[in-house]
Amino acid sequence: MTAITEAAVTQRKGAGGWRWSGRIFLLLLLGFTVMPMIWMFITSLKTGFAAMQYPPQWWPSEPTLENYWRLIDPSGSVGRDFVQYFLNSVWVSTLTTILAVVVAVPAAYAFSRFRFPGRTFLFFAVLLRNMFPAVVFLVPLFILMKALGLVNTHGSLILTYLTFGLPLAIWLLKGFYDNIPVQLEQAARIDGATRFQAFFLIVMPLSTPGIIATSIYSFIGAWNEYIYAYTFLTRHDQMTLPVGIQRFFSENATDWPGLMAATFMMSIPVVVLFLVLQRYFVRALTEGAVKH
Amino acid sequence: MAQVVLKDVVKNYGDVYAVNHVSLTVEDGEFVALVGPSGCGKTTTLNLVAGLIPMSGGTISIGDRDVTDLDPKDRDIAMVFQNYALYPQKSVYKNLAFPLQMRKLPKDEIDKRVQAAAKTLDIVHLLERKPRELSGGQQQRVALGRALVREPRAFLMDEPLSNLDAKLRVQMRSEIKRFHQDLNATIIYVTHDQLEAVTMSDKMAVMNGGFLQQYDSPANVFANPVNMFVASFVGSPAMSLVPLTAVTKGTDVVLASPEGWELPLNAANAKKALSAKSNKVVLGGRHSTIKVHKAQVPGSVPGKVYTVEPTGDVTFAQVFVSGAVVNVSVDPTFLLRPDEPVFIEFDQNRMHLFDGETEMALKLAD
Ligand SMILES: Nc1ncnc2c1ncn2[C@@H]1O[C@H](COP(=O)(O)OP(=O)(O)O)[C@@H](O)[C@H]1O
Ligand SMILES: [Mg+2]
Repeated sequence: MTAITEAAVTQRKGAGGWRWSGRIFLLLLLGFTVMPMIWMFITSLKTGFAAMQYPPQWWPSEPTLENYWRLIDPSGSVGRDFVQYFLNSVWVSTLTTILAVVVAVPAAYAFSRFRFPGRTFLFFAVLLRNMFPAVVFLVPLFILMKALGLVNTHGSLILTYLTFGLPLAIWLLKGFYDNIPVQLEQAARIDGATRFQAFFLIVMPLSTPGIIATSIYSFIGAWNEYIYAYTFLTRHDQMTLPVGIQRFFSENATDWPGLMAATFMMSIPVVVLFLVLQRYFVRALTEGAVKH
Repeated sequence: MAQVVLKDVVKNYGDVYAVNHVSLTVEDGEFVALVGPSGCGKTTTLNLVAGLIPMSGGTISIGDRDVTDLDPKDRDIAMVFQNYALYPQKSVYKNLAFPLQMRKLPKDEIDKRVQAAAKTLDIVHLLERKPRELSGGQQQRVALGRALVREPRAFLMDEPLSNLDAKLRVQMRSEIKRFHQDLNATIIYVTHDQLEAVTMSDKMAVMNGGFLQQYDSPANVFANPVNMFVASFVGSPAMSLVPLTAVTKGTDVVLASPEGWELPLNAANAKKALSAKSNKVVLGGRHSTIKVHKAQVPGSVPGKVYTVEPTGDVTFAQVFVSGAVVNVSVDPTFLLRPDEPVFIEFDQNRMHLFDGETEMALKLAD
């Protein structure tokens, strides 16, 4: 243990130059990803006139929260729509996530623990869906949804998102269950648990970080999806945020500050989710479920 | 506690027979060691007794109940796993309490039993810790404790000491033995370490390739191994085996080597040698029954020293005899050098003879 740590330390010292160049690279990358977000936020605080000024104001001379009030003020038409889109997005993403997890947990466990005929084939068949670009399925799925009478319902989106989210969720969770020693369940079964109890009381709690990570993936996937939402929904009261905020573009003028405020609001749930759960998320990605 | 009976138990994975028609009775209160090299089917056998995997054939009963089709939870057994399998998210206390909670015991009864088991195993001060905060030896104790709280009909242990360091292993060995004596527990103990099996068990079941080779007391297995596998597996250093040819010379029977030397056999051994399927006979001898001479004496055969390992009390040496390695032990004052020619004398009354074709021990027909 100490020998390993010491070795690691020496190695790190030796690689000091690399470490610094690595940091600079990460810093550049950070700037590259954060700058647009900062600009988005700053723009959202401007008036429509200030937003169009050239040269741009780095910080608005008269910062205003007006754009945000407009979005959440239910008496205005913008506010009514935005709140509706927001709720639609929350509903679709949450339901997609819950369904994905509820189906993926037992499926992943089965793929991990049981040997059954066609197991390998099925597992790759599940992933096949994710090997094609999303648009490939746009027309076939639209026809299918139409035949099912689901066009213009949230059901069409949830079903579609599950076809993306579920394979990923199963794949992620299977990795988790693979890492949980089968002896834990065996011990539980000998200690008096049924198979189901052994799973529910011992294995499931150990896979919590995996379930959380999987949920975040599913949620973000559904939350940001645009193409399908744009195609399947035409009614305004059904639209989700990515489609809905298009109404800030209009034929003659784009309401940039309003659009930026809406976009900023849209990113809040994801960011909050991430901050609250990042502890699990990082653990999920770095160490697996159980240390050996 | 109860008797455990395996009848004609089979477990196969396709063409791989992990357990091949094993029958074996563990008497009430007996400590049986299931021993054999890695991959011989020990864990599979234990898992079958526990009911963790479905059997391909045969029956198992515990006490007076046929448990063949029962779930593990209904077999009333406890198990200690090689990797301990402590529930990582639960404290030591909750690990010990889990089997009792599953059996719906009242809270104060659970507490009483957990405290008692913790006291027995000297882990009271660890009760609030999580398994990952324990050393290997402490985890081992907790695993034992979890088996102990419940007063099951039988204990199953799968290499419980193999992850401990040598010193701790010896200590835990005697503790488990004590635990067996105090509780008068029925224990099936899996190990790949023949020394563990010999020192701890009332009876040892030697397995190889899914087959049960021999089931007897360690003393009997040691003294009368049924075949060459058991002979070379049990005992350290291993029994030496020298393949030779039985030749009848007038009234005498000798074992002849390709190099040309001959070892005359006494009457009993001659009879054994002649009962072999062919004239191929394998001579076996344990180091304690072999004498080493610097000059030829009657009944000795030539060899050449290969390695010399002084241990203080006794010096072990390996000697090449007719192409085979023979383990011998000599007094530390008897100096041997590598490559030195020596003469090896087997004790006619304690030597073993095996059929070179079937590898089975040759016995006198009674
Ligand atoms: N689930 C399984 N699928 C296929 N083969 C297995 C399985 N479990 C065990 N085996 C095989 O059965 C044999 C016995 O295994 P095991 O009982 O674990 O041996 P031991 O515990 O004596 O080391 C081995 O050859 C192993 O490869
Ligand atoms: Mg094993």
